[in-house]
Amino acid sequence: MLGSLFKDTLKDALRGTLRGSVMGSMMGPLRQPEFDAARLGVTAIALPAPNGLTIPAPCAAVLVDRGGRSRRLAAGARIAALEGETAWCVHPGPYACDLVPFAGAPEIGLRVHVAIDASDPRATHQRFDLFLASEAGGAVELDGFAELAQNALQRELAQGNLALPPCTTLEEWNAFRSGFNQLMYTRFGVTVDDCVPVDLGAARDYAATLDARLAAQADAIDLAAAPDAALPASAPQLAFVPACEDARALRRLFLELPCLMCAVRMAVLPADQERFRQHQDLLRRLDLVSLSVGTMPALELAAPGQPLAPQEQLRRARHSRRAAAALDEAWALLARLKIAGEGPLDCLFDEADRIVANLESESQARRQTHAPEAEEAGA
Amino acid sequence: MSAPQDQAICRSLAPDGAMLTITATRRPRAGRADVKCAVPGAPGVAERMQQVVRLARHTEPRFDSRDQVVLSLDRAPGAGERDWELAAVLADRMVRGVFQSGQGVVANGWSDAWHLGRIDGRMLARPPAGVLAGGADGLPHLGALGGQPDPGAGISSARAWFPMHSGGDQDGLGWVEVSVRPLARAGQDDDETISAPDLDAVRQAQIRAVLGGARHFDGRGQGQWRTTVRFGEPRFSGDSYQFALVMADRMARGREFVARGRVIATGSSLAWHAGKVEAAEALAAKCALIAREAGAGDRVLLPKDWEAALPQGLREQLRARGASLACVERIGII
Repeated sequence: MLGSLFKDTLKDALRGTLRGSVMGSMMGPLRQPEFDAARLGVTAIALPAPNGLTIPAPCAAVLVDRGGRSRRLAAGARIAALEGETAWCVHPGPYACDLVPFAGAPEIGLRVHVAIDASDPRATHQRFDLFLASEAGGAVELDGFAELAQNALQRELAQGNLALPPCTTLEEWNAFRSGFNQLMYTRFGVTVDDCVPVDLGAARDYAATLDARLAAQADAIDLAAAPDAALPASAPQLAFVPACEDARALRRLFLELPCLMCAVRMAVLPADQERFRQHQDLLRRLDLVSLSVGTMPALELAAPGQPLAPQEQLRRARHSRRAAAALDEAWALLARLKIAGEGPLDCLFDEADRIVANLESESQARRQTHAPEAEEAGA
Repeated sequence: MSAPQDQAICRSLAPDGAMLTITATRRPRAGRADVKCAVPGAPGVAERMQQVVRLARHTEPRFDSRDQVVLSLDRAPGAGERDWELAAVLADRMVRGVFQSGQGVVANGWSDAWHLGRIDGRMLARPPAGVLAGGADGLPHLGALGGQPDPGAGISSARAWFPMHSGGDQDGLGWVEVSVRPLARAGQDDDETISAPDLDAVRQAQIRAVLGGARHFDGRGQGQWRTTVRFGEPRFSGDSYQFALVMADRMARGREFVARGRVIATGSSLAWHAGKVEAAEALAAKCALIAREAGAGDRVLLPKDWEAALPQGLREQLRARGASLACVERIGII
């Protein structure tokens, strides 16, 4: 009984991940856009490649199966995808993009040159391939990638894990660079070739931004004063679609947690018994989170055959998304673990404890059919 | 961020002149709600308090599910009274070590947009000195506690701190605030785009010269902004506020990296147009003052000329508190 329940939910989860990948690439084989090799290396980092394509010169192909396992093909080979595999053509770059490290300071940025390396023979899985498998629905555009990298950078700076203070000195800059390089490699599998501070004042004029903001505020006041005026067609809002968000977040957790665990195990060589226990305990808890994600109940069902209220589905999807955010933090922490010596390990293990606790509580809340608040009002 | 304590107290001034006291306690969560609030005889207020605290936590970059914070108000506030909201938010931050403050904090303010960190106003008409007063003329949003500009506002204002030293017991950190708004919107009366309403004419001219020079060095910011400069304490002497003023201006215009805490700077210059920072007076006294006042995340900026003469152990002392120090020869990156 329990066994069959297990299998069913696992199947559900797998179907969820499958659906994620299908939704990502959206177009069926009939409506697949023409593979445009000219965009590769310029505006796109990776493009979904049709079967039978001969891989053009500097590129490589990454083929990912449904379980997230990946393999690479070198340039010159023909892509022959096996049943269930998705193929991407990846240009190694280098790519240049501008990142804004602080949302509050839009006129000062970092010009970053990144490249995607040939596969590292020492690693059991290539991080960039995992990134493709779990996060790239279809094409990986340079702009979209820069936005992801910028978010990761901004969060690390806001939490104080990387420091880029006013009037940065050379030593501080070097410390930032090593942390940033490791973050980009650990989180996305790209290597940072070059990173320099740039003045973005000409491209992103802060005065013009504030001007637009003031105009929008004035418009909002006008609108409030005259309620029957037509709503402005502008102000596009990103809709939160629970099914998509949930599937995307769970897919990431399902594929990335095992790799993360593997990397955490390798990153620390415990010095003594106490550290060994701490490390083991961390891995055990991560394993349980991974199991919990693998057996996650379907979003839209309260029980087999019983639909769940849309409000609760929204709550569940929010918890999935927050668990995925904790996963991002875990990758960033892994980057810090890799370059840390013995000194700050206590602090890093405390951070790990916090992040795993967040993962546990979010995945637990995702399983509930209603908010846990109500029943413990008197506690 | 430093080691959080297990209990914190924050007060708020009620309209009748009495104090409302909010006590925050932190304990292991053990599967309970993240925030629990208790107000004697007013469950509605407790509910609102929980909502306020949860919304305000959205502005924090770091989320920790391991602790429960219990907030309790010593008595029920009057009907419709909302000035305790800011005190509740600060108590919640103090007990988790997110916000640090020396002695008893008294805070008044309410908001309809805590999730953006904005503080809309306060009911207290004339707050006595020492009260953290929320609202446009006091503390407009939570980030302003560290001097950062509000990322969602149409007018950008930033603060930097500088040591005020006279040898008396009035010594402490003073702040300077620079607010900028785009000139295109401010209208056509551009006789003077930099104003400092609280100051005398000589000091105003000096501020215009300093900002003009620094913006010239920067290459941007001329003819773009209408600027207002305010000081926490408008009566002071000396020129060592200049560096703090320049830093606040750069932060407000979005052209400087952001510190996690406050920027504490001292230094003057006769060549801001070349971006140079020159020494100020009273090195020893100011360093001692900074060492006493700096907290976690603060950034201390001193002139390069001081580097050789810094008191022993200042750098280490600051680092132990979570602050960092740099000796600067020229403003800008590296």
